[in-house]
Amino acid sequence: MATGLDKLQHIVVLMMENRSFDHMLGSLTAVNPKIDGVTPDLSNPDANGNPVKAQPLAEFQAQLQPDPDHHFPAVDLQIFGGDTSPTRVANMQGFVKSYFNQQRDLKHSQKIMYYFAQKDLPVLTTLALEFAVFNRWFASIPGPTICNRAFAHYGTSFGRVDMNLLYINEPFKSIYNRLIDATPKHTSKLYYYDTASSTMEITNLLQHQPELFGTYPQFLDDCAKGNLPDYSFVEPNYSDHETDSGEETANDQHPDHNVQHGEIFIASIYQAIKNSPLWPNTALLIVYDEHGGIYDHVVPPACPKDQFTASANDTGTGMPFAFDRLGVRVPAILVSPWIQKGTIVDRVFDHASIPATVTKFFLGDYSPRSPRETSADVFIEPNSGTVDPARNLLSLTTMRTDCPEFDV
Amino acid sequence: MTLIHVPRPPKSAYDPNRPVSALLKAQIDYLHHAARRLPLRYRSEIYVNAIKTEGEAARYIREVTQAIQDAHADAAAARIKAVPKRRKVIEIAAVADEGAERKRPSKKRAKKSSGKARRKK
Repeated sequence: MATGLDKLQHIVVLMMENRSFDHMLGSLTAVNPKIDGVTPDLSNPDANGNPVKAQPLAEFQAQLQPDPDHHFPAVDLQIFGGDTSPTRVANMQGFVKSYFNQQRDLKHSQKIMYYFAQKDLPVLTTLALEFAVFNRWFASIPGPTICNRAFAHYGTSFGRVDMNLLYINEPFKSIYNRLIDATPKHTSKLYYYDTASSTMEITNLLQHQPELFGTYPQFLDDCAKGNLPDYSFVEPNYSDHETDSGEETANDQHPDHNVQHGEIFIASIYQAIKNSPLWPNTALLIVYDEHGGIYDHVVPPACPKDQFTASANDTGTGMPFAFDRLGVRVPAILVSPWIQKGTIVDRVFDHASIPATVTKFFLGDYSPRSPRETSADVFIEPNSGTVDPARNLLSLTTMRTDCPEFDV
Repeated sequence: MTLIHVPRPPKSAYDPNRPVSALLKAQIDYLHHAARRLPLRYRSEIYVNAIKTEGEAARYIREVTQAIQDAHADAAAARIKAVPKRRKVIEIAAVADEGAERKRPSKKRAKKSSGKARRKK
C-alpha cells in the first residue's frame, strides 16, 4: 500500500546552533519515558568533586556567558571527564569542569547542567511530540560549528576539527552540486537569512555559485508559490543587526542569543511549509549543528573512520583523531504529515546522514562519497526499490489533518 | 488542530553591540578570504581586525555577500552583452556567404571552395 514516502518530493533541512539534546528536549522524558532525556539521577562533578544535578533552570538569554567552550580539547574533556589515558572510557562527566575552566567560578559552572522546562519551548517540544524525534542524532565531530556543518554539506570536514578555513578537497562534492549536476537535473538551494547574516562555512560555494543561494524571504515566497527546490537547506540569522526595514534579532539560538527568537523562527519555517501547497510532498528536518559545550548524558558512539586524520597538533589534545567517534548528541526532529504522532527513532545518525539521505533519495547510488557518509544511516528511505516498513518514518497511508499550528 | 501560542521575547533581547562570537569571527575570516579574490572595485573598505561587535560584523558580512552577488551578476550581464556582438558577426558572415554563393560563376568553381571552407578562414 502506498505511504507518505511515495508522495515525498521535497526535503528541507533547518540547522540551528549550539544546543544539546538534554538541554532542549530533556524535559520530554517526563512526558514520554521512551524519549531519552533527563532523569533525576543525572549529574556531573564540579571542580571540587561534588555532584551537580541536571535541573530545569535554563533561561532564554544571559545565562551562558561566556559562551561555553566547544572546541575539540574542551569537548574531549566534557566526554571523557579529563581522563587522557589510552584506556579511557567516555563517561560525559566533564561538562561542569570544562565550564569551570573558563571563569574559575564554581557556582556559574553549574549552569552548564541546566535544561529547559517543556513549557519554555512550546515550538520545539510540540514538534518533537507530534512528529518524529531522534533519540540518537549526534554531531559529526566532538568539536565546533564549522567542521560539523561541513558534514551536512559534504559528508566530511576534509580532516578539519576546528573553525579554520575549510579547504574543499576533491573528489567529494557538496550535496548541492551533486543534485544540480545530475542527469536528470535536480534543484537545490541554500537559504540564508539575509545578506547581513549570510551563509556560515560554505563561503566557497557562495564565492563560485551565488545562484545556489536565496534568502529567508525567498524561502517563504517559494513555499507560498509551491516553488521549493528538491532540496533546501535553511540557515538562521546569526547576528543582531540593522536592516533597511528595521532591527533583526539573531534567531540561531547560539548562546547568548535569545532562545525564544529561535522558537519563532522554527515555527515560521514549519508554518511556511504547512501552509504551502507542497505540505503533502515535503519533509522538514530540524537539527542542531553541535551541542555548544552544554551537557548531554548520552555517550557518543564510535563510528567508522573517515579517510582523513586530524593530527595531534590540530586536535589540541596531544592525540590524533581519525574521525572515528561522533560528537555530542543534539536535538533532531523530522516533520511531515505522513509521520505517526509520537514517533521515536532510536537508530544512530549524524550530520553525514543529511547528504547520505538526500543523495540516496534523489540520486540513488552515487560515488564518490566520504567513508563517513557511506556508512551513515538515512532518515528517509530511498523512494525506489523495496522499502523496509520498519524504517519508513513517512509510513502513514492517510495524511494527517491534526498537525499543530503556531501563532507566528 | 491545536493552535499553540509562541511567546515573544522582550525588546531588550536585541543587542547589536554584543561582542562578536568565535563563530562570527570565523564567518568574517571566510568572507574576507573570499573577498580578496574579488576585483578591487567590489572590495569592502571595512578593516576586519577592527570589527568588535555583532552590528559591525553584520555590516561587513552584508557588504561582502552583496559584493560577491554583484560581481557574479555583473559578470553574467557582461557575458550576455557579448553574445549579440558575436551573433552580428555570424550574420554578416552569413550574408557574405550568401553573396558569394549568388556570385557563384560556375558549378566547377563552387565545388572547389565550399561555404564551410570559407568560414574556416
